[in-house]
Amino acid sequence: MTAHVEDDAADVVLDALARREIVEWAADPAVRLLAALVADVDDVGDVNDYRLSSVSITPST
Amino acid sequence: MTTSTIVAGIMPNVTEGRVADAATGVRLATRSDESDLRELTSLAVQGDRAAIESLLGHLRPMVVRYCRARLGRVSGHYHIADDVAQEVCIAVLSALPRYRDMGRPFASFVFGIASHKVADALRSSVRSAVPTQDLPDGPDERPGPEETVVRYIEAQHARALLSRLPANQRELLILRVVSGLSAEETGNVLGMSAGAVRVAQHRALARLRQLAELESIA
Repeated sequence: MTAHVEDDAADVVLDALARREIVEWAADPAVRLLAALVADVDDVGDVNDYRLSSVSITPST
Repeated sequence: MTTSTIVAGIMPNVTEGRVADAATGVRLATRSDESDLRELTSLAVQGDRAAIESLLGHLRPMVVRYCRARLGRVSGHYHIADDVAQEVCIAVLSALPRYRDMGRPFASFVFGIASHKVADALRSSVRSAVPTQDLPDGPDERPGPEETVVRYIEAQHARALLSRLPANQRELLILRVVSGLSAEETGNVLGMSAGAVRVAQHRALARLRQLAELESIA
């Protein structure tokens, strides 16, 4: 496997990143950067519980 | 189909806690069962409280990640991005009674709102009041300072290079990777076909790689 992602595999790579799976092409700098961004965005607190109680669940009419 | 049946079908795929702990990651949550999600949306539009809550629980993590990726940290924290994500959720809830299913995924409606809210936030220069973090009640199990700093630097580097991509390429990569939308869903948000998204994402990835390599040489 070369360090660069094959063009026709970009969809597979992006899917793997989206699933937060280990990406085979981690030597690719673009993939590595995106993986770092994903890790940073995901790993601060709990995105699911964020201020859940402060959101009204009743829509306006 | 009842709300509880739909919720049971969707919620198991929704990531719980940190994404690093989730077995199925983000993408599967967004693609859990599109027909069930559509039905859940329909119930939510009709004012079904449980459906609204489930729908919000399903969408909120994607919105938070999107806002964090676009807006980054201020003083080391995601307060601004999280506040914008909160505004998006409230705007979605407010608009829900007026939402009409036109055959597009509900996510495209949500990210349309999110995109506008982020643009508004980027235009705003009011970033002075940064709340301080509460003292933790127990041991902090997050990564240590060194790992946090390395990750922070890499993520900032990613944002800096992404900001140098054309806007549509940047938006595409964030929606696909950070928010975990499929090519079809991303296309619906950006007004492109899934095929066009696949072509554009190849180019965006290649461009990002080129920028990273140029920087490493310089």
